[in-house]
Amino acid sequence: MTSQPGMSDVILGCVVPYIDDPKDRDAVSLVCRRWYELDALTRKHITIALCYTTSPDRLRRRFRHLESLKLKGKPRAAMFNLIPEDWGGYVTPWVNEIAENFNCLRSVHFRRMIVKDSDLEVLARSRGKVLQVLKLDKCSGFSTDGLLQVGRMCRQLRTLFLEESSIIEKDGQWLHELAVNNSVLMTLNFYMTDLVKVSFEDLELIARNCRNLASVKISDCEILDLVGFFRAASVLEEFCGGSFNDQPERYTVVSFPPRLCRLGLTYMGKNEMPIVFPFASLLKKLDLLYALLDTEDHCSLIQRCPNLEVLETRNVIGDRGLEVLARSCKRLKRLRIERGADEHGMEDEEGVVSQRGLMALAQGCLELEYLAVYVSDITNASLQYIGTYSKNLCDFRLVLLDREDRITDLPLDNGVRDLLRGCEKLRRFALYLRPGGLTDVGLGYIGQYSPKVRWMLLGYVGGSDAGILEFSKGCPSLQKLEVRGCCFSEHALAASVMQLTSLRYLWVQGYRASKSGCDLFAMARPFWNIELIPARRIVMTDHVGEADVVEDPAHILAYYSLAGPRADFPETVIPLDPLAAGVEL
Amino acid sequence: MSRATVELDFFGMEKANSSKSQFQKFIDRRRSFRGIQGAISKMNPELIKSVISSGSTNRSPVDWRKSFSVPSSPKEDRSSPVPSLPILNPALRASSEDSRETAPVTIFYNGTVSVFNVTRDKAESIFKLAVEGSSKNVESTDSLKVANPSRDQRNLLETRNGDLPIARNKSLQRFLEKRKER
Repeated sequence: MTSQPGMSDVILGCVVPYIDDPKDRDAVSLVCRRWYELDALTRKHITIALCYTTSPDRLRRRFRHLESLKLKGKPRAAMFNLIPEDWGGYVTPWVNEIAENFNCLRSVHFRRMIVKDSDLEVLARSRGKVLQVLKLDKCSGFSTDGLLQVGRMCRQLRTLFLEESSIIEKDGQWLHELAVNNSVLMTLNFYMTDLVKVSFEDLELIARNCRNLASVKISDCEILDLVGFFRAASVLEEFCGGSFNDQPERYTVVSFPPRLCRLGLTYMGKNEMPIVFPFASLLKKLDLLYALLDTEDHCSLIQRCPNLEVLETRNVIGDRGLEVLARSCKRLKRLRIERGADEHGMEDEEGVVSQRGLMALAQGCLELEYLAVYVSDITNASLQYIGTYSKNLCDFRLVLLDREDRITDLPLDNGVRDLLRGCEKLRRFALYLRPGGLTDVGLGYIGQYSPKVRWMLLGYVGGSDAGILEFSKGCPSLQKLEVRGCCFSEHALAASVMQLTSLRYLWVQGYRASKSGCDLFAMARPFWNIELIPARRIVMTDHVGEADVVEDPAHILAYYSLAGPRADFPETVIPLDPLAAGVEL
Repeated sequence: MSRATVELDFFGMEKANSSKSQFQKFIDRRRSFRGIQGAISKMNPELIKSVISSGSTNRSPVDWRKSFSVPSSPKEDRSSPVPSLPILNPALRASSEDSRETAPVTIFYNGTVSVFNVTRDKAESIFKLAVEGSSKNVESTDSLKVANPSRDQRNLLETRNGDLPIARNKSLQRFLEKRKER
């Protein structure tokens, strides 16, 4: 050890591993070469927000000893069926690199990516002995055969997460393999996957073998068949899924594990709801997104849950349900209210959320950190309430539904401004309105008053190019921007990108295209990839086989990348190559 | 024999029509279907039949104004009346029109149905009024800086959100479809 001014390597080596926050680590790595190398040796986790921004090779060269990796592929819009299935985001090159070189990797999380059975086999064979966490999160392209390999060879798995993935189901063998080979499983999740060939006996076996099983989320499986499972899973804290196909009275025999505090029962109706009452006061998290409750049922259930911290439901909760929530659930931290059915008669008449519910919520639930809501009506005052009371809000998302012609109080310029000024911790922000919902002045306010916001979704806001140009003078922290249905020209979008100092990712659908698409070249620059998904006509068939032709407007996707343009474009995606077009950078 | 007709374009069949009317592409097919379903479901079926049959027959000496009133279904929280359907596409087809010849216009508003026999000019003024009326509701008092006014106005009328309906989360979409089958 040389004596030199500053910290010795030994001390540095002891201190740096305690630094976990990615932004802190980023700062550490920029100090000098020595610190860069120490960070590279000791960094435990990396999230790559878009897999095409770098390459497996680069990752390996810098972070050879990585223990945990999260990779994201398709744009977020894929969750709403807006992105072609074959858009990209293949895990194969990453899995191959992992198999070959990442010897310390114990946790792998792929989100919105395309995974093949062969990828799963390679991963299981090469890392099976050490892999503890495998998350295939909203992925597609694989079948239960791939999962069979995982069940067979990854015997150290603590977490197997498959939520919302599209999986080709051949049989239920994979769950059986998992059941007979694993005794350390803590989290099992195949919620929202439509896997129906799994057997409840295997679930029961897992519960008996895995003494630490704390969280289980499954697909549709008759609750009465799970009585044995619930009895065996003695330390279970979280359960979601199942289904109710029998007479309500029969469910009185179901007895839930004593520590259960996070719950979501699919297709639970008014008559089955009482089975939750005995332990409702213990509940910290309630998922009613896929339940069959009306407004009154919501009121009846929520008032029994004074310890609720997380609630997810549809707008059938209504303003009245929100008022009950505000009175009863003082510890509420996260609230998500999704959009229910549009057709008449499918949801409760009372099931609309408006300014009335929001104002009650803001005043009653002062610890709120996350709020995402689809509203049918809105006022500036209700947004001002949120700015005044919701001081802990980090993530706010509002969508104004399009059923009502008249909205009480538009535009929302002042309300949005006051919300942004009041919620000083805001990091994520989404506002989806309609023409006239927010003027250019309002859009300027968003730019001016969101100093810490890193992600934004803006839909149908502003009135002209002036709006987005004013907006982009602000937002100093904005890294990821999604824009939908706005009236901005290509030229204004490109100019805005150049003004947003932190922007590294842009997604746009619905804009004023130029005749040639060339106005986008105003944002051409080194390391900036620009991709277009041209307007398409998609034939969508619903569940009764009725076909409908849907016009899907063009998308723009642009992002910084160290890896150059990607090499795996499907037909539906077109890269914009400024060099080929003769544009000078 | 041709006559001036003002037709209700229930299924958006006139999307590609060659009419030079300024109200050409009024409404998206899906939205009009959904909206009509909503309005019709609140009305007496006999009433609907009589309205539709009266619209298709060729009546000359007819009542100047035949109005069928249907009580609105009770809705909570409605301080101001909400039009259940905007006026639909007036496909003015006939090539030779007698300017004094009248044709029926059927208007659905807030749970009531009214049928009027009007001349083509009168029909266009009614539509103009309706357009101005609905766009006034949406424009703000601190004037919207609209770069391309005619396109924005057309957007307000097409669907609430132009060509892009609010997309739904995949899992929720599947759940809502499965629920219908239960």
